[in-house]
Amino acid sequence: MALMKASSLNLRDKFGDWWDGANPAQRTIFRIVLIGIFYALPMLNNPIIDTPETSFSSVLFYPLVMFSLMAVGLNVVVGKSGILDLGYVAFFAIGAYTHAVMSIHTPLNFWEILPFAMGFAMLAGLILGLPALRLRGDYLAIITLGFGEIVRIVAVNTEAIGGSAGLTDIPGPDSIFGVEFTVMDPRPYYWLTLTLLLVVIWGVMRLSQRKPGRAWEAIREDEDVAEFMGVATLKYKLWAFIIGGAVGGLAGAIYASQIRSIQPELFTLNLSIMILACVVFGGMGNIWGVILGAVILGYAPEKLRFLSDYRIIFFGLLMVVMMNIRPNGLLPRKKREHFQEKNK
Amino acid sequence: MSKKLLEINDILVNFGGVTALNKVNLHVNEGEIAALIGPNGAGKTTVFNIITGYYTPTSGGVVVDGESILGLRPYQIARKGLGRTFQNIRLFGDMTAAENVATAADSLNKSGLVGSLFGSTRSRRDEAASMEKAHELLHFIGLDHRAFQMAKNLPYGDQRRLEIARALALNPKVLLLDEPAAGFNPQEKVELGDLIRKIRDRGFAVLLIEHDMSLVMDISDRVSVLDFGQKIAEGTPAEIQKNQRVIDAYLGVAEDAS
Repeated sequence: MALMKASSLNLRDKFGDWWDGANPAQRTIFRIVLIGIFYALPMLNNPIIDTPETSFSSVLFYPLVMFSLMAVGLNVVVGKSGILDLGYVAFFAIGAYTHAVMSIHTPLNFWEILPFAMGFAMLAGLILGLPALRLRGDYLAIITLGFGEIVRIVAVNTEAIGGSAGLTDIPGPDSIFGVEFTVMDPRPYYWLTLTLLLVVIWGVMRLSQRKPGRAWEAIREDEDVAEFMGVATLKYKLWAFIIGGAVGGLAGAIYASQIRSIQPELFTLNLSIMILACVVFGGMGNIWGVILGAVILGYAPEKLRFLSDYRIIFFGLLMVVMMNIRPNGLLPRKKREHFQEKNK
Repeated sequence: MSKKLLEINDILVNFGGVTALNKVNLHVNEGEIAALIGPNGAGKTTVFNIITGYYTPTSGGVVVDGESILGLRPYQIARKGLGRTFQNIRLFGDMTAAENVATAADSLNKSGLVGSLFGSTRSRRDEAASMEKAHELLHFIGLDHRAFQMAKNLPYGDQRRLEIARALALNPKVLLLDEPAAGFNPQEKVELGDLIRKIRDRGFAVLLIEHDMSLVMDISDRVSVLDFGQKIAEGTPAEIQKNQRVIDAYLGVAEDAS
């Protein structure tokens, strides 16, 4: 019984063993094939994976790759550092509004605005984090929740950025490397987001394996002890917020450039909770887990659309069942341990 | 007369109306094992929490190697050279033993997050140094075979020792050990005593809180006794064992001494 359980759950360890034993060339080939498959996904035209009402390639862009990007960003805050952020949508909104306002009112194009969108979101992370990160746990969660709402309500009440009607006629990105970004075709946006997602994954993984990653994990495990061990906890928590914010802002700018009109109603608490659900459902702290979570939680409601409003019930049921079977998420954070014989 | 690495001067701590520490003076000399003993609730761990900056004293000062550390944040004090362990083991459970130690070692280098992201020369050098130090300390403490295991999965005794290794990664001028022998059997206590001596011989001064009297009397150069927030005695182990006030504090005084 125990043996059976072990062998059935060990797919991940088997892959891990193969990965550890693989030489660099094999790993590179594996990466290229996998990334190639993801780039080719919009070409798929299969009734099994197709979604009713919306085309598969538009679902790929939003929510799948968008949710993935945001989940990877939020995972730095929630999964790595253990800071519960219930207002992540604020950074997404700031990125979206930055692109919308700047592309309408300045001659800058999407590519030039992108650093601003990320920069303002980072600044927002810093401004929110400096006072808020001195608090912990529930208190911090409430403040982030409030921040998410504040950003939305400010947008509703600021006529200069369209008030509750929002902004329309937002320009899309200029063509780049011969790829045109049109209103009708979501695939270029998917490829763009996927590319940026890969860059973000690369960055987050680098940081995770090094000093900042250890500092974040130490903070998550025991903040007081991290401080006693010389970790500048406030600085690293701020960095987590700033990096999470930058990724959220990036996602927001791309989103605004694709849908071409934004309203404050797009940036409600629901979206914060949704992205948080992706992180928790997929496996807090594991970058592959949260992406899997984002893909499943983004895809399921679209696929279940034939059930009309009942799909929300099935969606909820899926989450309840999953969290009972795997309370730590689909792919929990788990470092593979190495056991050695005592050499004495 | 050897140099004082840690001095606690006239520390007064009030929690509301309760005086937890009343004008306590303590010091740790270079190259010595000092012990702090006292009945439960005497204020021993409070002393550690004052030294490491977790609490701010109502009055009094703490000096590390000639430099006042009052008002510094705990992480700054740790970097000045104070490493501590905890009465209840507090490891980073979901990190490997090597990562636990490396996290403390990291705090002594100045590599920033941006350098780590882009792999600057300095960050790579620091990264290698932290890892090397972690493995060196695990070897010193006798845990090299546990390096890649999760801290939470280690046996109890190994967890206690891992905490010591992690504190040593800060290159502490004074290592603060809070009841390191708690839960150990007699054999393990003897081994721990040897380890603490080994740590002293490596050049770290040690301040030890411990309830196990045979261990304290065996390894300490100097013993201070706290009772109800007051220092009631200080001296060599032999002197302390004969001190009437210490005996009274531990055994209690008869109400009616007829």
